[in-house]
Amino acid sequence: MSELREKIEKHLLNVQKPSRYIGGEVGSIMKDASKIDVRFAFCFPDTYDIGMSHLGMKILYSLINERENYWCERVFAPGLDFEEIMRENDIPLYALESLDPVKDFDFIGFTMQYELSYTNVLNMLELAGIPVFARDRGDELTNIICAGGPCVCNPEPLADFFDLFILGEGEEVNLELMDLYLEMKKQGAGKLDFLRRAAQIQGVYVPQFYKFHYKEDGTIDHLEVTDNAPEKVRKRIIKDFDSVYYPENFVVPFTEIVQDRVSVEVLRGCIRGCRFCQAGFIYRPFREKHTDTIVRETKALCENTGYDEVSLASLSTSDHSEIDPMLTELIDYTAKEKVNLSLPSLRVDNFSESLLEKIKKVRKSGLTFAAEGGTQRLRDVINKNVSEEEIMNTCRIAFKGGYASVKLYFMMGLPTETDEDIIGIAELAHRLIDLFYSIEDRPKGKGIQISISCATFVPKPFTPFQFEPQDTREMIEHKQKLLLDSVKTKKVKVSYHDSNVSMLEAVLAKGDRRLCQAIYTAWKKGCKFDSWGEHFHYDRWVEAFEECGVDPAFYANRRFEYDEILPWDHLDYYVDKKFFIRENQTAHKAVTTPNCRQRCSGCGVNKVVGRECFC
Amino acid sequence: MLRLRAVFEKKGRAKYISHLDLNRCMLRTFRRSKLPIWYTEGFNPHPYYSFALALSLGFESSCEIMDFNITEDMPFDEVRDRLNAVMPEGMRIVSVAEQVQKITFITEAEYSFSLVSDEPEKLEEAVHRLISADEILIEKKTKKGIKTVDIKPDMKITDCVLSGGSVDMVMRLPAGTQTNYNPTLFFEALRKETDIPFEPEKICRTAILCADGNEFK
Repeated sequence: MSELREKIEKHLLNVQKPSRYIGGEVGSIMKDASKIDVRFAFCFPDTYDIGMSHLGMKILYSLINERENYWCERVFAPGLDFEEIMRENDIPLYALESLDPVKDFDFIGFTMQYELSYTNVLNMLELAGIPVFARDRGDELTNIICAGGPCVCNPEPLADFFDLFILGEGEEVNLELMDLYLEMKKQGAGKLDFLRRAAQIQGVYVPQFYKFHYKEDGTIDHLEVTDNAPEKVRKRIIKDFDSVYYPENFVVPFTEIVQDRVSVEVLRGCIRGCRFCQAGFIYRPFREKHTDTIVRETKALCENTGYDEVSLASLSTSDHSEIDPMLTELIDYTAKEKVNLSLPSLRVDNFSESLLEKIKKVRKSGLTFAAEGGTQRLRDVINKNVSEEEIMNTCRIAFKGGYASVKLYFMMGLPTETDEDIIGIAELAHRLIDLFYSIEDRPKGKGIQISISCATFVPKPFTPFQFEPQDTREMIEHKQKLLLDSVKTKKVKVSYHDSNVSMLEAVLAKGDRRLCQAIYTAWKKGCKFDSWGEHFHYDRWVEAFEECGVDPAFYANRRFEYDEILPWDHLDYYVDKKFFIRENQTAHKAVTTPNCRQRCSGCGVNKVVGRECFC
Repeated sequence: MLRLRAVFEKKGRAKYISHLDLNRCMLRTFRRSKLPIWYTEGFNPHPYYSFALALSLGFESSCEIMDFNITEDMPFDEVRDRLNAVMPEGMRIVSVAEQVQKITFITEAEYSFSLVSDEPEKLEEAVHRLISADEILIEKKTKKGIKTVDIKPDMKITDCVLSGGSVDMVMRLPAGTQTNYNPTLFFEALRKETDIPFEPEKICRTAILCADGNEFK
């Protein structure tokens, strides 16, 4: 038994939801540590409830554990109550399977899902007793601190803290890295030697081999590459997605987590090309699993976990080419086994009537539209190909079917946005109300409720809007007030996000290496769990930026020029910068680009994949 | 349809599973076992099962009771084994049998625990002082607010020994549909009786009993 266990258990009844901190869940994988060659601590920089919902972790956890001599374990950020106890009682950060300290692990890998979790990484490293800066960690070949996930498409703000980043999909490259580590460990090599060799593996970015030189105006002058590392680091993808490894079992938590169900990945990538959406570009090319594979994986997971709910994971499930037969087969299975099927990211427009009937049986959740823009012009700018007609048609069917509430998602502060576009949001809601009352057989005795949720637009790397400035807080506040004033009825409820959070998100998303010190300083001032409203301390961030001489507006509110060297230009996500420039120009003309299935827009992915994406 | 009653253990790490989470956990255990468990027949059918008594978070137990129905005849041992094959660590079905008594027959539960202290001898004295008093008044939170109750008449100490650094006790307390006393009430009373610091450890429910003193079946 782990030496730590007794120490942990002594305090466990004094914390919220203790089952999050002790492991032992069904499906968790136990091994004999003395027979293991390489140990991998898979860290999610947020609490158990959130991290355990993350599909990527489930996949890579099971994949690594398939190898007898490797052991992957789970690590999450403790809640504030338990963190205090850990610090008071010298309990270091530990992994949930062995309950061994994270410091004992060969790889300590973080998945970076959102920018506002950056400070949690530093906090977790400190709790583990590991120096947060890579340069302070010595040359012994152990504790390789690495990261993957969408945020590492611009890893520069994190560069000083990590030994290496893994770009793209991890199913192959993670094992390659572990194999290399084992080989070099046997040879008695040091960490620097290992990193030099690791940098030669496609998808591995070792930030210490890249030095940025800046111009006087603060933009990047040039990049100096050392140690024979590649000039461009290209992300990894799984070419044969249908036969890629997928777990047959998940760890089934005792406590309720955010996504407490079986999740089956049906496709990767997206054909849509919405110009604000990072996921839509960094996960290209579009690849699908066959119906048979999806059904087989669904059955295995439901049987092995005992979950009675399954959800299909993708960026846009209805873009699957076999959506009709797939759902028909899945619904046959789930109805027979009394399993609930939930279908997020569904576009209702391209369904057959009979399928709609079937879906109605399984799906009683709310009606949600991500319209994103208030006017057709703005939706064209962002290439969100949802027309008002489609929204109206779907709502008409839904209202007749008994729905009386609609949720609409919008973004505020989009490029080219004017007051007219903001007023358009309210007007769209008003027209939906008129539509509801014009329907004879609408739900009786119910009023209609429209919820409008407005996020602030955050420009992201590897999108056509990566060049765009974010609205300043004054501009956002003006627009928020305008929207509230434009809503004429209590049937419409408006909510919006804290614009300070969105500003920080933009800075961290588009930042460069000079931000590392600011993140460190903010964390030292007590910033952590920045994505949790109640823990977000904007004032501390402002102080940290000032002390480090960083102007957040330089990153968030400045237009990045087309010919400027961007902090992520040396990373290759298969989509050409030229394409992003072209798309940016097209956006400013309010012209749409057809989806990949209609016509190839030449983003550059197919050139590298070596085939047409759709043929 | 067979109406079954399982006795199960909840020990080790499983003691951190809250009662609410235990419900979800059993649902998934039943599904993994593929036993022909009977589903309710409402609009939203779900497997029917119920627990005789709730167990406090952090308590172990060797005798939890869970009732459920199966729609096909099969040996009790097979039901037990199929559930045990898919149970989480620390949970184990001890036995499966047909339901004999009604849940309302339950009147008492037995608990064992160790009171760990740096001054065990003095603590033992305090325990004896407390349990030989005429009344043991504690404040109990009820739906109608806080009320003072005397737990002395209902508390039966069956064992109390000094063992190394702790006072090890076994006690029976009212349980069931009418009155439920938790051993923590006794700990509170003891803390009022003495300033000697102690920590209750290894709290375990060891029996669920009927009015006649026999185990509930």
